[in-house]
Amino acid sequence: MTAGSHYDLVIIGAGPAGMAAAIEASEGGLRALILDDQPAPGGQVYRHVLQNAVRREASSYLGGDYWSGQALADAFAASSAELWSQSRVWQITGDREVFFSRHGAAQSVSAGAILIATGAMERPMPLRGWTLPGVMSVGAAQTMLKTNGSGADGAVFAGSGPLFYLTIWQYLQAGLAVRAVVDTAPARMTLAQYWLALPALLQPGLLLKGLRWRAAIRRKTDYFAQATSVAINGEDRVTGLSFTDASGQRQTIPAEHLFIHQGVVPNTSLTMASDLAHRWCPRQLCWHPRTDMFGESSVAGLFVAGDGMGIAGAAAAVSSGRLAAQRIIARARGRALPMAPVWRFLKWRQAAIRPFLDSLFRPPDEWRVPQDDTAIVCRCEALTKADVATAIALGVSGPNQLKGYCRAGMGRCQGRMCALTIQKMIHDHGGLPEDRVGHLRIRPPIRPLTVGELAALANDDAGA
Amino acid sequence: MTMPAHRERIIVIGGGIQGCATACFLAKRGQKVTLIEKDHIGRHASGVNAGGVRRLGRDPCEIPLSLAAMDIWNALDEEIGDNADAFHPCFYVKVALDEDGQALGLERVESLRRAGFRHEVWLEESEIRSRLPHLSGRTCGGILVEGDGWAVPWRIVQGFARAAVRHGATLIEGCRVLGLRRDRDGWQVNTSKGTFEGDQVVNCAGAWAAELARLAGEPVFPLSPYAPMLVVTDRRPPILPAVMGVLGHTLSLKQLDTGQFVIGGGVRARADLDKNRGEVAIPELAASMRLATTLFADIANTQIIRCWSGIEGYMPDNLPVIGRGRQPGLVHGFGFSAHGFQLGPAVGEALADLVMGRQPRIPLEAFDPGRFERVA
Repeated sequence: MTAGSHYDLVIIGAGPAGMAAAIEASEGGLRALILDDQPAPGGQVYRHVLQNAVRREASSYLGGDYWSGQALADAFAASSAELWSQSRVWQITGDREVFFSRHGAAQSVSAGAILIATGAMERPMPLRGWTLPGVMSVGAAQTMLKTNGSGADGAVFAGSGPLFYLTIWQYLQAGLAVRAVVDTAPARMTLAQYWLALPALLQPGLLLKGLRWRAAIRRKTDYFAQATSVAINGEDRVTGLSFTDASGQRQTIPAEHLFIHQGVVPNTSLTMASDLAHRWCPRQLCWHPRTDMFGESSVAGLFVAGDGMGIAGAAAAVSSGRLAAQRIIARARGRALPMAPVWRFLKWRQAAIRPFLDSLFRPPDEWRVPQDDTAIVCRCEALTKADVATAIALGVSGPNQLKGYCRAGMGRCQGRMCALTIQKMIHDHGGLPEDRVGHLRIRPPIRPLTVGELAALANDDAGA
Repeated sequence: MTMPAHRERIIVIGGGIQGCATACFLAKRGQKVTLIEKDHIGRHASGVNAGGVRRLGRDPCEIPLSLAAMDIWNALDEEIGDNADAFHPCFYVKVALDEDGQALGLERVESLRRAGFRHEVWLEESEIRSRLPHLSGRTCGGILVEGDGWAVPWRIVQGFARAAVRHGATLIEGCRVLGLRRDRDGWQVNTSKGTFEGDQVVNCAGAWAAELARLAGEPVFPLSPYAPMLVVTDRRPPILPAVMGVLGHTLSLKQLDTGQFVIGGGVRARADLDKNRGEVAIPELAASMRLATTLFADIANTQIIRCWSGIEGYMPDNLPVIGRGRQPGLVHGFGFSAHGFQLGPAVGEALADLVMGRQPRIPLEAFDPGRFERVA
């Protein structure tokens, strides 16, 4: 047992924000530890980057952005920060003790400061049939590609968002056949979006990249723009996809493998379970932990960095990780952090494109709450939209009371796959603004923890 | 507050099991009752407790109340209709894991027998094993109570609340008491939803009851709030047809009809009454987990999917406060110290008796609201 181990900084998550913070902290003389639940550093965006680097030629289809993670991972490996892989953090206490499971036993470390860099997760997409075999998220498809270079030939992609186009582009680069792409983003920009596009011009590289991906996809796949009323077909497994195309025609295409995506949201499991204050972001339609510009949350000494504080991408995640680490170093040395306005500008500059992207790829309501009454909303408890709607109609004050009526959100995913849907349904029913409906209360453990692993903590304490 | 004052005879404060059962029995007897709850029915300890329905292991002075409550539990559909199916009677076993536990158990069964109570019986190891064939640890026997069991607490509390409404009670949720004043005409209860007037007030405010008593001008109650914790696991094939505990320890272990195990018992975290929040501190549950895996080795590989707590009020002697207050027209029923769920129906009946000026059929002297005043 490592009880008693103390670090100046404990970082949760070895993605771009976590690695950048660890590098910065160790250069600043802090004793830093990263706890990461994956086998190797990289997070989602740079998953497996050091392993793939040895066969970089063969996996060049992953693209330049991905390979930019290699330098970061190398610098992190060369730093004095410690990395404990396959460590699942399941609770952080107010006095900055971090509990996690590793090698089949629960352990803890204490920290002078904690940085939560647990990144983003895909927004749940409760279409009827989203739980059928053969349906996966686009993020999962990309994970397979990064982890072992595998993919599904002849897959259909449906949805929208930057990760959607990137993954299809990577599929095409890898030489995998894409049967069809069903794009739910509107084809024409609104006036407001032209305005939002102005600051986005500060990031021309990103804009051009997106346009290039979309052009390649249009050229090389059976591409359907402005798709609405998307429905997944199949009873025992997915057989196809139906939708209304731009001309108003109902289309049905066969699909053995269907990858769906509707953007990413901060993974707030740990920040919510740690009782940090959050705010509803109407622009990104998700919850953000409340932080100051350095990433310090409502609980002193507990910081958040990267996409977990609001979706801004990998480059911004690196900056926010470094900024949080600098703040923590400065505080450890008892001095102020200079140049705050510069950091503030840099932060804005790196996310200048976001309002434009958020508006362009705003998830349609029909993907946030299913149109079909028989669609599963809560996967863990197998509750349909009708089940949940019936319970809401009994008159609930919020998602926590709803649990008592129908068990929605009480399964092992801790609401990750249903909380945003339930919140919107309660809003739609009673008209209460979404920020006041609130999120399901998240309780530790937020990562898998067995009874035996927790029991091990008692054994060790008894021997200590 | 410009809202019109409501004229009621009895105002029950607190929508937990005690308040809901009290309102139910009062309304059933034709009394005009308003039940007010600051959050929603069953929001705190009553709705989210372990759901143990046990006579086993009760403090001797609680046993008559517990036995009376069991009579109501066993005919629960008469009181709460369909929600009664949330009660699952089976049997409750508290096993001894060593000779100390065995001595403890044998002595208890014997002393209860001398006092005239025969619901707790001693089982030898072989009898325990035949009733719990999946038990992996060896026991030194244990105490059994036939017919004890578990319930889905939230549905039981809901059941009493709905029954109260069916009998004519008025239920107001989201209604926080801001002040209590007594004048010649009776009580004025000033709340976030207006002023209510009544001849009698019943304080079933759980962990918040001492504050309510203070507002009413009662002597100070030594009531401490805590948040008892529980975990629930993933689903597993059925191996445990009983609710279990271990003599000399505070474990409570059961397997729901969903196959999920609920593990808890006695471990409590801090509670913040102002923020309405109970904490959870999973590491403190480690000892309970170890005991559970000692009883059933297979549980070790089961995943914990959630930990939760509910805010409860504890008295220094772990006995509830049930009885008339110092002020006329005020009755208290709180401080159940994390074992009041099973007692609820009988407490509701007793509080209804007190409100109506009748002599409760169960002696309540041990729960006298004034007992700490005398000591002080």
